[in-house]
Amino acid sequence: MKRGKKKDLLTPTTFSLLHAVDFADRLTYQIIPPLKAGMIVLADRYVYTAFGRDVARGVHPAWVRALYSFAPRPDLALYFRVPIEVSLDRLLSGRAKLKYHEAGMDVGLASNPVDSFRLFQSRVLDIYDRLTDEYDLRVVDATGDIPSQQKLVRRLVKEMLRGYEAPPALGNGNGGRR
Amino acid sequence: MAAGGRRGKTWYGHGLPYLKLRNLPGHLIVIEGTDGVGRSTQTELLQPWLELEGHAVSPTGWTRSPLLAETINEAKAGHELNVTTLSLLYAADFADRLEHQIIPALRSGFIVIADRYIYTAFARNVVMGADPAWTRELFGFALVPDLVLYLEIDIDHLVPRVLEGKGMDYWESGMHLALGTDIFDSFQRYQRRLIEEYNALAREFEFITVDARRPIDEIQAVLRGHITEYLAGAGRAAAGARPPHVARVPEVPPASLRARRR
Repeated sequence: MKRGKKKDLLTPTTFSLLHAVDFADRLTYQIIPPLKAGMIVLADRYVYTAFGRDVARGVHPAWVRALYSFAPRPDLALYFRVPIEVSLDRLLSGRAKLKYHEAGMDVGLASNPVDSFRLFQSRVLDIYDRLTDEYDLRVVDATGDIPSQQKLVRRLVKEMLRGYEAPPALGNGNGGRR
Repeated sequence: MAAGGRRGKTWYGHGLPYLKLRNLPGHLIVIEGTDGVGRSTQTELLQPWLELEGHAVSPTGWTRSPLLAETINEAKAGHELNVTTLSLLYAADFADRLEHQIIPALRSGFIVIADRYIYTAFARNVVMGADPAWTRELFGFALVPDLVLYLEIDIDHLVPRVLEGKGMDYWESGMHLALGTDIFDSFQRYQRRLIEEYNALAREFEFITVDARRPIDEIQAVLRGHITEYLAGAGRAAAGARPPHVARVPEVPPASLRARRR
């Protein structure tokens, strides 16, 4: 994956397929086994990222959905929504510059990374808005402060987990983010 | 099937929405068949012949993209892939060659000879237990070839040919499927099932079937005959400003193009 990204050799389709390889590998080794053991898996990004990002790059929406049809539907999918300017401010204050693909520079919408980010990520956000209905994503307003976002997230997670019984001997193992 | 060059190119499925299919005057010729059947030998013999005939030729083969060939070989060496990740890697390799090699060559009027094509993935995935519908969707960005020449062989003729050649290897013997610990038995079972799948695909996609039990030069002569016939038809269509009787696709292919069944 890094090899392809570094050389800037990727087309929208190979970009999409290589991310799918990475996802399939994580699904096989890190997501499915704990689910089968009755554990809770927290996934920071899921197939919806590909549906937004890859379609904004130009692949067919039906193709990318079929591509990921091996992925199980999550029990709860949270979408943290922010306007484009907020995400740009947050990214630029956190690090020196935007990543090439994150700014959609490969799509050729603008030669300046910040302009390109605005145009490319606006496309992505439009697609996410449509995905919200299609896949019943629960929207969290991510412009607010973290404690109030967290309050909402915990309420949604608690509702979903009603009646959940953790498998035995859980809690003293090494937890990890998936 | 052979009318592809006359009709213009089409996508197999959803295609690549960001690429237009106009102006691809070249020809995409696919050689299919199972491991060890002699595909590569035949493909290598076809290239100089076509070049002497005055055609520009661009050969391509499965897992030969600069982007992924190395990754796939490393991953296979580790045996850490399941059918889904392996299929996705093959698809990425194929997409890379399609967009960076095959389509540009077709645009420049080359004859592209593909040693294996998406049908190899279709056949292998069925044997490995992947959902066939998923595999077909996955490769929906492929171009429909103008001509598919299928080298058909049976297991009894395949076994000695492979043993006289480079021998039975881990993957071609389907050892990853754990059909048994004996490589010879595993090879037979795996290749028998693969050949069944290829034969089913040959019927479904109307490949031109060539009897691959014959000597190399005889097979080569048959392949050249089919390619000559196809190119003549495509040439007539290009020169003849598309008269209505060629523009219509016949429901039954002419007898000379119909798959030879034994």
